[in-house]
Amino acid sequence: MSERPTLEINSLSAGYGRFDVVRDVALSVGKGEAVALLGPNGAGKTTVLRAIMGLVKQRRGLIRIGGTDVSALPTHRIARGLAAIAPEGRRLFLDQSVEDNLLLGALHLRHDRARTQILLASVYDLFPVLKAYRQRLSSFLSGGEQQMVAIGRMLMSDPEIMLLDEPSVALSPVAVDIVVKAMLELRKRGASLLLVEQRTDVATRVCDRLYVMTHGEIVDEMKPETIRSGGMSILNKYLG
Amino acid sequence: MLQFVLSGVAIGSIYGLIGMALAISFYVTRIINFAQGQLMMVTVMVTAELASSGYPVWLAALAGLACSCIVGILSYVIAVRPILLSNRFSFGWLVSTLGFAVIVENAAAYIWGPTSQAFPPILNGISLPIGGAVLTAQQLLAIVTAAVLAAGFEVVRRYTLFGKLGMATAADPEMASAIGANTTVVAIVAFAVSAVYAGIAGLLIGPSTFANPYLGDTFGTYGFIAMMIGGGTERPIAAMFGGLLLGVCAEGANALINSQASDWFPFIVLVLILIVSPKGLFSTSNPLFRPRRAAVTRG
Repeated sequence: MSERPTLEINSLSAGYGRFDVVRDVALSVGKGEAVALLGPNGAGKTTVLRAIMGLVKQRRGLIRIGGTDVSALPTHRIARGLAAIAPEGRRLFLDQSVEDNLLLGALHLRHDRARTQILLASVYDLFPVLKAYRQRLSSFLSGGEQQMVAIGRMLMSDPEIMLLDEPSVALSPVAVDIVVKAMLELRKRGASLLLVEQRTDVATRVCDRLYVMTHGEIVDEMKPETIRSGGMSILNKYLG
Repeated sequence: MLQFVLSGVAIGSIYGLIGMALAISFYVTRIINFAQGQLMMVTVMVTAELASSGYPVWLAALAGLACSCIVGILSYVIAVRPILLSNRFSFGWLVSTLGFAVIVENAAAYIWGPTSQAFPPILNGISLPIGGAVLTAQQLLAIVTAAVLAAGFEVVRRYTLFGKLGMATAADPEMASAIGANTTVVAIVAFAVSAVYAGIAGLLIGPSTFANPYLGDTFGTYGFIAMMIGGGTERPIAAMFGGLLLGVCAEGANALINSQASDWFPFIVLVLILIVSPKGLFSTSNPLFRPRRAAVTRG
């Protein structure tokens, strides 16, 4: 019998107001696996991540993280070790220092000082520049550095599944490379990742599988090798 | 001159505490609790009632603060949370907190009657001559308490995990919940703390004003002015500076214009300051009083 996936989504419908933004979405992320959700603007990729975090109430379907049904859990309970997100636009607490942002990520581990310090050291190991800037206000960082803090804050909660929403957007090529290397390092450490991306090259470098999403539905599932060996034309058809 | 400045700082400390109370709940929830003055009144009335029943003043004061705290939490649960749940961006709380204030005020008038009652003296009859002026021990207690509470709030806000969580919730409540913060609990704590600040202001002013169910109207309004001229909507401690300025202006108007001038002069100050600095005199957006950040060099 195969191992239960870290993240399991079945028949998910979710949206805002009276409209479903995503319909009948089914996907899974295995333990230690990295999976990408590709699609054009407005396809509903971010809504899937928000639904996993409980930030959008799902109308139908089931979301399990590590075997726990999170469909009815409030966001703050999901964020306590089940899932963590590096959101689109990074959304750091800009009036606080780099280290404070990171420590807030480990809020549910506040009574476990030793574990918090180990996690903090692992973030500084992943992004040494953050250790040098740890007392600096996060509003004074560049976009790439802010993205490192957002990923670090996500790491600090030591979650079952890490959700990354377009981590490469609006970054310089050098910063994108650093972020990609960080995601590959996370994979080496055994993390499970669900990555929302518009850049196919980033997704294929990092992920084992790719779901393609358009108009709120998952329309295809591919392997990076398929894309590299001529599948790009199929993908372009979906992405427009 | 020195006399009205000292008296102004003393009464300004009370306005500042109420302004800070308004600002603390606003800082975390972006809600102005228009029942803040009534929370102060609850402490005053309960303390006066228990003290007149023979309980020790300190016990009566603690019970008064506890009652204020409970009513403060109720104001969030009854008048704010249901509105935010139906629409987070609604301004319905403007009316609902005002309605809550009217209910609390009339309930107090029903229970204790509409007239003033005795309030136990805290530091009775002690006066301290300073220069050519006189400061009562009660006034000095107000100034010292306000300074300690204002500084204490800043220490908690900047250096404790809960303070940082409050800052995070103030900046981005959705992201705060996405890092594991129960933002409802944070809001309730903010309302409880603000009720305690308002209640302490009541304990400090009670010996001068006596216990009256309509006390909250006047002091709630002055607290609101203190918050607005100080810039407490951005930094709660700025409301304390606003309160001190307001107190000195009001006492100065009484001394230099006429004895009724404190009723209208602070409003002129409010309008003038908001024209010059719309977010308040001591807000972070005012270049004159912007907090200085250490210069950094990009690495």
